[in-house]
Amino acid sequence: MDHEPRPPHDHRRHGAHRLRWVVLAALTLLALAGCAIMWRPALAPQPPQQARAAAQAFDAATVERGRQLAALGSCAACHTVDPARPYAGGLALATPFGTVYSTNITPDARTGIGAWSEQAFARALREGVSRDGHLLYPAFPYDYYTHMQAEDVHALYAYLMTRPALDAPAHRNSLKFPFGFRPLVAFWNVLYLKKNDAWAPDVRQSAEWNRGAYLATAVAHCGACHTPRTKLGGTDFKRYLDGGEAEGWYVPALNQLSPSPLPWTTEQLASYLRTGIATDHAAAGGPMQSVVENLRFADPRDVAALATWTHSYLEKAPHDAPRARTADDLPAPGANEADALVREGHAVYQNACARCHALGRTESSGAALPLQKAVALYDPDPRSLIHIVRDGIEPPDGEPARWMPAFGAILTDRQTAALAAYLRRYGAGKQPWDHIEDSVRKAKQP
Amino acid sequence: MTTFNLRVNGKPHAVDTDPETPLLYVLRDDLQMNGAKFGCGLGQCGACTVMLDDAAVMSCLVPVSVVGARAVRTVEGIGTADAPGLLQRAFIEEQAAQCGYCIAGMIMRATELLEHTAAPTDDQIRAHMMPNLCRCGTHMRILRAVRRAADTMHAGPGAKA
Amino acid sequence: MSGAHDQRGEDGRPANPTRRRLLGAAGSLTVMFALGPAWPQQGGQSSQSAGQGGASESGVDGAAAGGDKSGKLPGSLDKEPWLDAWIRIDADNTITVFTGKAELGQGIKTALLQVAAEELQVMPGRLTLVTADTARTPDEGYTAGSHSMQDSGTALRYAAAQVRSVLLGLAAQRFTVDPASLKLDQGVIHTADGRRATYGELLVGHDLHLRADGKSAPRDPASHTIAGKNLARIDIPAKVSGGVAYVQDLRLPRMVHARVVRPPTPGAQLQGVDTAAVEKLPGVLKVVVDGRFLAVIADGEYRAIKASTALARAARWTTPATLPAAAARMGDAAALVRSLPSQDSTIYDGPGANAAVSKTLRAAYSRPFQLHGSIGPSCAVAQLVDGRYTIWTHSQGVYPLRDALAELLGAGKDAIHCIHTEGSGCYGHNAADDVAADAALLARAYPGRPVRVQWMREDEHAWEPFGSPMVTSVQASLDAGGRIVDWQYHVWSPPHNTRPGKAGNLLAATHLAKPFTPPPAKPAPQPEGAGDRNGIPYYILQGPVKSGHIVSHFQPDAPLRTSALRSLGAYGNVFSIESFMDELAHASSQDPVAFRLAHLHDPRALEVVRSAAQRFGWDGWRRPSGPGLQRGRGFAFARYKNLAAYCAMAVEVELARETGLVRIVRASVAVDCGEIVNPDGVRNQIEGGVIQSASWTLLEKVRFDDKQILSRDWAGYPILRFNQVPRTLDVHLIDRPGQPFLGTGEASQGPTAAAIANAVFDACGLRLRDLPLDRARMRDGH
Repeated sequence: MDHEPRPPHDHRRHGAHRLRWVVLAALTLLALAGCAIMWRPALAPQPPQQARAAAQAFDAATVERGRQLAALGSCAACHTVDPARPYAGGLALATPFGTVYSTNITPDARTGIGAWSEQAFARALREGVSRDGHLLYPAFPYDYYTHMQAEDVHALYAYLMTRPALDAPAHRNSLKFPFGFRPLVAFWNVLYLKKNDAWAPDVRQSAEWNRGAYLATAVAHCGACHTPRTKLGGTDFKRYLDGGEAEGWYVPALNQLSPSPLPWTTEQLASYLRTGIATDHAAAGGPMQSVVENLRFADPRDVAALATWTHSYLEKAPHDAPRARTADDLPAPGANEADALVREGHAVYQNACARCHALGRTESSGAALPLQKAVALYDPDPRSLIHIVRDGIEPPDGEPARWMPAFGAILTDRQTAALAAYLRRYGAGKQPWDHIEDSVRKAKQP
Repeated sequence: MTTFNLRVNGKPHAVDTDPETPLLYVLRDDLQMNGAKFGCGLGQCGACTVMLDDAAVMSCLVPVSVVGARAVRTVEGIGTADAPGLLQRAFIEEQAAQCGYCIAGMIMRATELLEHTAAPTDDQIRAHMMPNLCRCGTHMRILRAVRRAADTMHAGPGAKA
Repeated sequence: MSGAHDQRGEDGRPANPTRRRLLGAAGSLTVMFALGPAWPQQGGQSSQSAGQGGASESGVDGAAAGGDKSGKLPGSLDKEPWLDAWIRIDADNTITVFTGKAELGQGIKTALLQVAAEELQVMPGRLTLVTADTARTPDEGYTAGSHSMQDSGTALRYAAAQVRSVLLGLAAQRFTVDPASLKLDQGVIHTADGRRATYGELLVGHDLHLRADGKSAPRDPASHTIAGKNLARIDIPAKVSGGVAYVQDLRLPRMVHARVVRPPTPGAQLQGVDTAAVEKLPGVLKVVVDGRFLAVIADGEYRAIKASTALARAARWTTPATLPAAAARMGDAAALVRSLPSQDSTIYDGPGANAAVSKTLRAAYSRPFQLHGSIGPSCAVAQLVDGRYTIWTHSQGVYPLRDALAELLGAGKDAIHCIHTEGSGCYGHNAADDVAADAALLARAYPGRPVRVQWMREDEHAWEPFGSPMVTSVQASLDAGGRIVDWQYHVWSPPHNTRPGKAGNLLAATHLAKPFTPPPAKPAPQPEGAGDRNGIPYYILQGPVKSGHIVSHFQPDAPLRTSALRSLGAYGNVFSIESFMDELAHASSQDPVAFRLAHLHDPRALEVVRSAAQRFGWDGWRRPSGPGLQRGRGFAFARYKNLAAYCAMAVEVELARETGLVRIVRASVAVDCGEIVNPDGVRNQIEGGVIQSASWTLLEKVRFDDKQILSRDWAGYPILRFNQVPRTLDVHLIDRPGQPFLGTGEASQGPTAAAIANAVFDACGLRLRDLPLDRARMRDGH
């Protein structure tokens, strides 16, 4: 050590000072990086005359292709709430982070996307960035749409920009702190958005399979619901198609973990996707119902391709429920059935459900599925069954389709839980769902 | 056959019937009540609408065995021809009926709305009444009657119906 | 003044024991009336044509007085001229009024009471009205065709006027005063000096068995205090409070419940049915198997339903494809109609056009099978006691039904008593007669106790007589000035009337082991017509268009049963004509309203057209610019049957081609139905007709394949719900006191369809000519 008098700034203080500067520099760099990550420039709005002229320039075939893509992507499922106001947005989507409202994607200059150039539109679709630079919440599945081919993005733009413009300002979202701070989404994007990662075909597969794979990955975004999410809400691709959840429903796996009691043919899948029913097999309810209501407008060949792709995963599942192959009435609990809840559930089934779901109903007014075939009974999670019972299935306004009544106000929580327990045991023959009464209670919360 | 103890419009009734029997038939055939009507038996038309606790339900879908201790309310409990209740008065004043078959169900559906929503907008009334069908085309008057009843309720107890 | 023709027992009551029992054991001396045929037998003539039940008295010349030049009595008096068939006044002053018409929910009971009350100068509440009952009321055929006011209202008006005159005469005699000095007040006649007598007292020693003469003048409309006013409907309070109001509410002592199991398809053949297990089910009293007619009777309603389900499961049927394959595969009613043979008749043939033709347009339109879709499926109760049947039915024609049942059961007509009991709205020939036949057959199989048969929703949707499909084709030519100079029109359609009359018109009768065959359907002559109702445009009959040729192609055999649905062919014909009028106007760049005005001469027609347009704000209307859905306006006019009520309307619609949803934003309707008895009742009917027709037009078609009906419930056959009704529906009534009553209940069906189609075209340029304009068609654009 030196015995000379220290200069006014000694080493330690100099070191600490430098450390402070380093830290400050690092923090600044991080902040800059963060801002760089979070910030996106606004793109110039398109003046209305230009927008109108552009709209007229789209040819009919492109617009039609865009219409089909919108159907395949189920855009209307989120962006159309009132069928008299298509694409005007306003749907409330409950997420683990709070409630997000879908926006107006009609070409209204003020409240919709009327001022968006195609570049802005493509950026939104691929990167989740709005025209004015703010980040969109990934409730809008741009992490899937990012794989869309350029001509498909163009066709979608052509379609949307030629719809009637509707005045519908965006609803205010209500997100839990801190998720209301949009720039944080940028970090989510770092983790989960593989932008510019164009989808590539698998040369070992058929053309139809590849078509289905492209549509499923880039447009129909099946994985978004049919795959579990990470804690941060990204798709967990390590468990692709293992099952997930949507709007409070459990979404079944589509791969070897599929709980479906019966094997599917591609034709059955295609029929299910187009109409919501595979006769004697399954009926779509809940969020899947809005998907099929959109897919019915898509090109049937595209839907067949989706079915082919799905089938390639689904056929790996064991589908080993022999009782599902019959249409026998569900059995009554045996004399040794100790579970009182199950006994109660049998009574509920007999008295409220059997009238339609057993053979006791004339086929003429639309057969109801014998419940041993219902996928919801075989799900590892009872939520879908609970929702179907409570909410029923209704056709779109003014259109003929299947109808199951809603029992939410008719059955008490206990009766619903009992019914679920009975169906699980005597319909599916599976181990009971845990805490079924809690699940019923939770299902009532919006 | 089992005995079920029901509470209908505040009164207890003991009914012997099959557990599967829909509440609609219990009301009509066992209790001789006419308000709830058979329209489809499938929950698609609402002619059978009654209140079960605080919810409007299709009584053709409710097996009597699930009712339990819950309170059943029918149009008979709203009032009588000589002493009509609020909604009934509104329907009479608006002459909101042609064949009239759907009206009791409409009144019960509207009852649920007025019990849950203090000052419903016209759009809310319209949306709320959707599950109920009217084949004669009396919709405009039905909406006016519900509006009238809602306004009367909102105006307070001193207001004339 | 006692009548010489009635048959009385010693106690002065009718000799006929049935009638005596029915008239009750009231102690008062009641006035008799003869049910014997004091008028020419109607028999089967009324069974072929809807809208019968009395000569239509309304004429284009608007004759107001009764007793017209042809010597016919006013309204139904011509068929039933005895005053006491219509009005009974007991010694205790109870006044009962009888009508052969039935309450269908159109408010006719109230309106008829008003008419009678006005002439008798008593408050309506003092009158008791008895409706359609084969043992008690005049035979006025069917309550249909918007004839009720014209036939029954007119008859009651003149009958009551004459009764008033008789009473005044009796009082003048009794008090030796001038009749003009007497005052009538609530059933009492007062002299100027304070003496008085009730109507009942005046009639002691006399009766009303007098022939109507149509000469007593009804009260001057300017002095009306009851008719012409809004009287609250007498049936509504019970209906909103759970009172007994419908045949579905009938509960008779020891009544049993039945359900019929119908074949799964129209062509199904029964291979066998094992009834043993069904007979053992709880509560089952009897299982009936007669050919393809299967039924179960039980002691409780739900038990009957359960047993019928078991019976359905126990039956084995073959179900061959019996509907025309090509058409049925697409459920295409128009293709089906085009494939059927027809009997052609020219209903209009005008001189050839001699003006220079500038433009000729052609178009074809179509209408599918549609449902009455009564919200309460049909129901009847029948009882057989001592060889006599009593049937409580909501049939529109209790007398023709009685005749058909007599044939079906092999019984005499006087062994069958049909009593009209209100059902839910029927809008024409629905399953009411069929279920009455079911009940009668089951009463025969299980005599003694009343048997209640209730059709299920699926039964009604699959088996009711459908509204008949139609195909039309139009061709018209315009001159250089944009005026129509030639009009060619064709309409093809299966029958619009297969009402009983005959047993073969009853569904069950055609399913028995020894089945009855449906009688050949016949077309109905103009001017009322059936499939060709309103087939001749008013622009020809009361307008400048003279050259033209109109042919009605009646198709007697259709693979699915069809019959009268509110307005019959007028719905499809007015849809076609009024859509085409707009196409002509558009092709010649003329305003649709001005175009119509230029082709009408009748001042009453001109007035309704102008009124509807003005109230809508037609001239000043501008399409909303800026963001929003496509909006358009449309207009239509028709005079129902070219001789009943006038109806014009303008509508504004909003639509989204994406989703195909069409909403009516608002509508303005103007109606002229002659003298109005109950304005609110007319308004209610018109509003209801507009909304019902909007439902038909925007949503409804029966779906079928080559085997069966596919639309079996409301899920498969959606109808208008609250989200599609207009924001506002304005109905303006033009009252014409003193003018004859004009049938109104069906007047808005046709114009609504065309007004909507025209508005859709205006909104988005899509001219749709095939009904319904449902969401799929709107999306697809064709």
